[in-house]
Amino acid sequence: MQPFALNYARPAVELAVATPYAYDSGLQLNVLGDGRIAACDHALLREVGTTTSTAGSKTHFDD
Amino acid sequence: MTVLILTGEEDVTADMVVVHLNGSGVPVVRLDPADLTDGVSLSAEYVHGRFRGHLSAGGRLVSINGLRSVWVRRPGAPAGHAPHPSAWLTEEASQALYGMLRGCDARWMNHPDAARQARHKPWQLRLAQRCGLPVPATVITTFPRAAREFAERFPDLVVKPVSGAHPQDPPRAVPTSRVAPDTDFSAVAFGPTLLQRRIAKRADIRLTVVGETLLAARKAVRPDADPEEVDVRFAAPGSPWEPVEVPARTADAVRAYLRRAELAYGAFDFAEDADGTWWFLECNQSGQFGFVEVETGQPIARTIADWLSRPIPEEPVKLDEAGSTVR
Repeated sequence: MQPFALNYARPAVELAVATPYAYDSGLQLNVLGDGRIAACDHALLREVGTTTSTAGSKTHFDD
Repeated sequence: MTVLILTGEEDVTADMVVVHLNGSGVPVVRLDPADLTDGVSLSAEYVHGRFRGHLSAGGRLVSINGLRSVWVRRPGAPAGHAPHPSAWLTEEASQALYGMLRGCDARWMNHPDAARQARHKPWQLRLAQRCGLPVPATVITTFPRAAREFAERFPDLVVKPVSGAHPQDPPRAVPTSRVAPDTDFSAVAFGPTLLQRRIAKRADIRLTVVGETLLAARKAVRPDADPEEVDVRFAAPGSPWEPVEVPARTADAVRAYLRRAELAYGAFDFAEDADGTWWFLECNQSGQFGFVEVETGQPIARTIADWLSRPIPEEPVKLDEAGSTVR
């Protein structure tokens, strides 16, 4: 028998969108292909959802 | 004096703060403890009554004594990316890194001891009660009978994980879910179960607190929302997050909560009922804030940067009976 709460579990949904930025260790920031700083593009952040409170994270549950 | 940020490279939310620190000319060293021994290095000496320690990452070198603040954002497990990771190496790396950092005078957001305590949701509920925040009736039990009796008293219930963690084998998520009144509670015996009276909410509230600054956002529940979807993280996209004023009593209670929890940062979740009461659900000591700032324009990242940038308070000077300075 499994714990009661797991009766309500559902498959974790992984982010389907590949992030269009990469970390630049010199800047200590993630940058887009054209060199712009990803964090300054709020429309992009909204689209990729990487700043969003989620559930099912493998490493963090302080969302 | 430098701000040390402990987080992963992919943490673009931390980037939002780094941008402001860069704009203010505040030195930043950002590293992921997971990269220890493979991209991140440390060294410390305790000799002749003195301490000297350094961290190195990405070609930057920072003195531990030169840190003004430490932001524990989303750090990986120390040495987790090492070529030959092991539980032993992670413990060694953790003791070395955090042991060194604990010895410095920098301000923490949040201190590891406070963070560890603050993750306990049952403790959160009790602290919220003590601070005067309304808390929905809750039971945490392994007794099926206790769960049944609670359901008789509060027929409209939700269940949620006690820890907030989610099972990984296989990866699953356990959203806050409604529990039918005629549910079989026998499985409560197989794991601590948190049942809570459902708040018929008209909005979700995310209140982000940085030091003494409160920034609240409200997401109204749409009239056509699925009543079975009670967890905003899983609900279909609905109304946008919008800035909202914090009621004075809630503001006082929340500040008391953070003071007693010894937290510099907290992201509170409330459910707003039809009377406008904000019911405390939880406080995430490292809760996400980027999505709120992106939607509302609230200056959360700047407020965090400002907090991290503050100088270390000077040690109060004491005078002995002869008037000499005592440190």
